[in-house]
Amino acid sequence: MTTFNILVGHAQGKVPVTVLRIEGDIDAATHKTLQDKAAEVIEAGSKDILLDLGGVKYMGSAGFRALHAISNMLHKDGEPGMMKSTHLKLLNPTDAVARVIKTLGFDVYLDIYEDKDAAVNSF
Amino acid sequence: MGEAQAFDLLVDASLDNLQEVRSFIDRAGANLGVIEPVLGDLKLAVDEVVTNVVLHGYGNAGGDVELHVRADGNDVVISILDRAGRFDPGEVQALRLDKPLQDRPAGGMGIFLIRQMTDLAEYLPRPGGGNEIRLLKRDAIDSAGRLAG
Repeated sequence: MTTFNILVGHAQGKVPVTVLRIEGDIDAATHKTLQDKAAEVIEAGSKDILLDLGGVKYMGSAGFRALHAISNMLHKDGEPGMMKSTHLKLLNPTDAVARVIKTLGFDVYLDIYEDKDAAVNSF
Repeated sequence: MGEAQAFDLLVDASLDNLQEVRSFIDRAGANLGVIEPVLGDLKLAVDEVVTNVVLHGYGNAGGDVELHVRADGNDVVISILDRAGRFDPGEVQALRLDKPLQDRPAGGMGIFLIRQMTDLAEYLPRPGGGNEIRLLKRDAIDSAGRLAG
């Protein structure tokens, strides 16, 4: 059974940012937990989410489907013509996860940061 | 040297066993002398195949999944076998990387990753019913790093 935890934190930049720190592998068994947690914080009013992937050693296509779904939840109005998500950003992916992000082209649509303060202030 | 090493795993087709499957690939790969990032590529491809078997092959109702990992020279061959109904992942619609994230259909990424992470991904209907996916990764084994024996 997969060990999987999500820690919810808040940070104040130009706008309030919800930081979801994920610990564990994101696979087909766990991705829904991530998606549900994001839906919960969005329902509670979060408009900007930073996903801290520093504790994720493995992320497969299910994890990317979750990112896709979270991005869609945060961009309900469509914001036509927009390429990069302005409401969902990634922090500190491990080398293994960063490789898959590139392979799937998600780096074109999601900003990736190594510094948490810089990430929070970018929203 | 010269002795063929092979590793086998039989698990129930359950999403809860994906981590065990990845750990098995880690162990088998390490024993064969597969190093990162190639090991990560294989783990990803196998995880995606087994996920398909669990969800699409067996419809999340359980069943047997067999994994066989072996070296062929410096190549690694991994077979994933099931007794589910016929399911050819090649028939799933491919991912469109040219589409913005918001406009992409959610599916197709797993198949795309399987193809990207391997040199060959073959579908073989299994005699007696079921499916085999055979993955090939060329030059996966670093001969210098291969464990003796």
